[in-house]
Amino acid sequence: MSTSQGHGVDAHTGEEDPGEPDERHGYRTYEVYQRERVGETTNLISPRQLVGDDYLSDPYALVDVLRENYPCYRDWVGNRFWITRYDDVTSVLADTANYESRPRAHAYLAARNGRSLWGELVIEAALKRCIDDALDQVIGRVLDGVADVPDLATSFAARLPLELWSEAVALEPHERSDFARRLWRMHRGAGWDPIDRVAGAAAFDELADFFDARLRRSPDGDDLVSAAARLGATGHDLVVTLLEADHETLHGGLANLWFQLVGHPGQLQAISTEPRLMKFAWLEALRHSPAVIHAERFARHEVERFGRLLPEGALLWCSTAAANRDPRVFNEPDTFRVDRTDLCQREPRGQYRADGLPSGIAIGLGLPSIQPARPKERPRSRYALTEDIAVRASRSLLERWPAIALAEGASPSLRSLRLGDMHTCWSLPVTLA
Amino acid sequence: MGDAGNPFDAVLDDSLDVDRPGAKRRFDFQPVGTAVDMGCAPDGTPLIDPRIFASGEFRRNPYPYYRIMRDHYPVFHDRLHNCYYVTRYEDITAGYFDEIGFNTIPKGSSSGVLGNTQLELSGIEHRRRRNIYGRHLVGAALTKRLDAIRELGQDLIDEWYTPANPKGVEIDEVAGTVTLELGAAFANEFPISVVAQVLGIPQDARTQFTWWYDAMMQGLGGSDTHHDGLVARQDLEDYVGSLVEERRHAPTWLHDASGVPICLDIISELCTSEIDGDVMSTEEITSFVALVVGGGGETTRGAILNLWYLLLQHPEQWQAVRDDSSLWNTAFHEMLRHSTSIGGQPRHNTFDVELHGVTIPAGSLVHMVDVSANHDDRVFSDPERFDIFRDDLYSEKILRSGHDGAATDGRWSHMAFGVGPHLCPGAWISHQEAVIGSQILFEHMPNVRIAASRMAKDIDGESLAPIGLGAIRELWLTFDRPTA
Repeated sequence: MSTSQGHGVDAHTGEEDPGEPDERHGYRTYEVYQRERVGETTNLISPRQLVGDDYLSDPYALVDVLRENYPCYRDWVGNRFWITRYDDVTSVLADTANYESRPRAHAYLAARNGRSLWGELVIEAALKRCIDDALDQVIGRVLDGVADVPDLATSFAARLPLELWSEAVALEPHERSDFARRLWRMHRGAGWDPIDRVAGAAAFDELADFFDARLRRSPDGDDLVSAAARLGATGHDLVVTLLEADHETLHGGLANLWFQLVGHPGQLQAISTEPRLMKFAWLEALRHSPAVIHAERFARHEVERFGRLLPEGALLWCSTAAANRDPRVFNEPDTFRVDRTDLCQREPRGQYRADGLPSGIAIGLGLPSIQPARPKERPRSRYALTEDIAVRASRSLLERWPAIALAEGASPSLRSLRLGDMHTCWSLPVTLA
Repeated sequence: MGDAGNPFDAVLDDSLDVDRPGAKRRFDFQPVGTAVDMGCAPDGTPLIDPRIFASGEFRRNPYPYYRIMRDHYPVFHDRLHNCYYVTRYEDITAGYFDEIGFNTIPKGSSSGVLGNTQLELSGIEHRRRRNIYGRHLVGAALTKRLDAIRELGQDLIDEWYTPANPKGVEIDEVAGTVTLELGAAFANEFPISVVAQVLGIPQDARTQFTWWYDAMMQGLGGSDTHHDGLVARQDLEDYVGSLVEERRHAPTWLHDASGVPICLDIISELCTSEIDGDVMSTEEITSFVALVVGGGGETTRGAILNLWYLLLQHPEQWQAVRDDSSLWNTAFHEMLRHSTSIGGQPRHNTFDVELHGVTIPAGSLVHMVDVSANHDDRVFSDPERFDIFRDDLYSEKILRSGHDGAATDGRWSHMAFGVGPHLCPGAWISHQEAVIGSQILFEHMPNVRIAASRMAKDIDGESLAPIGLGAIRELWLTFDRPTA
């Protein structure tokens, strides 16, 4: 072929052919491409179903199809790979050499500065101290609210984390509503919706201004803001810290736990008889009905996994909803059972299969692989802290109203309000006695 | 009850209202050129809701949205679909020429059916493969075959009046008129016939060719028709496989009108060429064929239909083309600028890139939106107007380098074929097909007009539907029955 190599006249244009560019880093060999053969048949599902209303209300039916047929599904519409089997998801989450997460705060930080303070020991210690000191009081206050408005989704599950945050950052009672609205807007605004983004950015700035004023006060307190002030943090730092903290797992996890318990009166009765089972119920709820049903990971570089070539920058959409109901790992995975024997019943340390048993994947609680067993002087992990809060609050609720039951005529359901939002119960009316 | 009640109540009012603006958005059809109000930022900047890209409104009326993006978000990060859109002419041109910074690895949705094609190669590998067959589609090899292309077009038109009436032509003997759907009667098959011939696929496989093409195109994107696409792809591979075995030993040639050999047909050329000392595999050749089938069919079909649709809606321009047949070239280029059927090309950025204040992390999917570049009023004045006489459009020899109006005569090449190393290799032959095909059609359709009663209508129920993205699906024409 006279035109296949080297310099010459370009047959297309008659222009001088500049010749072949130098081989250099960045070009891939054709043989690499050839390893990714023509795509497999994926006719059992359409990518549009994964962004439709059915997915928002019941993702399990759809992700079952993926897990059983296309364990690494190339979603052309969402430009992502769905990873759905338990072993595959945990292997991606634990493999920080090949995959990275990107902070939520990226959504806001293009025009702002700020860093998360979660790596600072004093911050984690302050949070633990605030929660330990205030938990009983907050639970009491929240249960009083449940007595007034007996809806466990709003009066209990949604309120408890907001009250705890209010204590952690030492808010006055009259400041809590504004704080809650701003925190919520900011979290929602970190998603894909531009209207929410605008509201979220405004909330971000308002919170930053609010905390800047607080940080200028004497940093003598035991709360999170005082600890941040002693570190020389800014309002932006504190806001980024709040943004990166898990909010959904406690809120959504509590709602989903009680959604399951009032829907399974026999199991609720078993817990009444044997309160220690509440912890197992919490762990089983995280497995069976996780509020955070996916995690994003990006390939740091080209990786060959799952029989595919994942290009650098590829988005791996790790589906907790699918993995936690993988029948390869859990028996009767669609059944909610507080006495499940094939689920690890303690915080997994350093691995997903502590004690040889799988744990439910709870994205918001941090990764076992990066939260190894801590020395005694370090504060409990956020995983343990969240579990303590959820279990203590739920036991208190059940102790106060042992006959709690779903309100007559109520038909609650789990639902994500938007794609990417937590999958939880937004209304759970109950009768208390 | 706590001191200040449940702080979540404030959230309830604010965020959980499923009827709040934007919660469940349906994008109603708007008058062409007007965008749906998707809200504004505090500074008045209009917002773009990424759900619009999947809407019917966007497909029929895309340009006001691209205008918003060009003016306010020249790099738009679509977090819902995990990609970035680059929409200005200047940025897209720079991106196409920057083979290092913006590579072709994205594995666009085509690879799931078509296989690994040169669309996804860069640099040496791309150039070596493209050069093998590229010369068949340009220059002398193309010029010598124009008569053959004309003959294929004439063969199709001859079928209009055969007793079997395979094209569904409707003849009104009383009125003395003929009505036909231009796609079914001509444009669907004509480009495929040309492509089949230049590839070296026997014409008797034309029907099968149409099925391969239709099934593979509908199967792109992992849709529920994906399976059919793969079946067609396998069938094509089987067919090409046997053809390849023959041609490896007995290559065949393309001939000019007088029967003089011009060059090997493309499949024979691929069978006998070596890359890095090795012959190409059957699978690789099949992917080539699949790409050419895809690239050479729909695009030219759409070009012919859009060209006639636009011209017939602009009587003064139609009259000018009738009076001067050389204007078909100009009309072809203006049609591609105004309503190209290819939306753009995907790229991946090799490194982190900052463009217009947006940081695009390495490896992101970046859509270079050609149709937006073609409507960029930084380059083309009054871009939504179809005007074959515009003085800012370059419409002469198609150049891989593009035509930079700022450095020359104020005329710019359109972006329908892209520019740079991945400029559409079929640009030249597509141009000839559309122009020659249109010239033949013109000769056989006296007093032609759009059969408006058979055409899709716009939202007012009266005017003809806009082309929007892609090409119109049907074009019904009526003309006086030729006397001879």
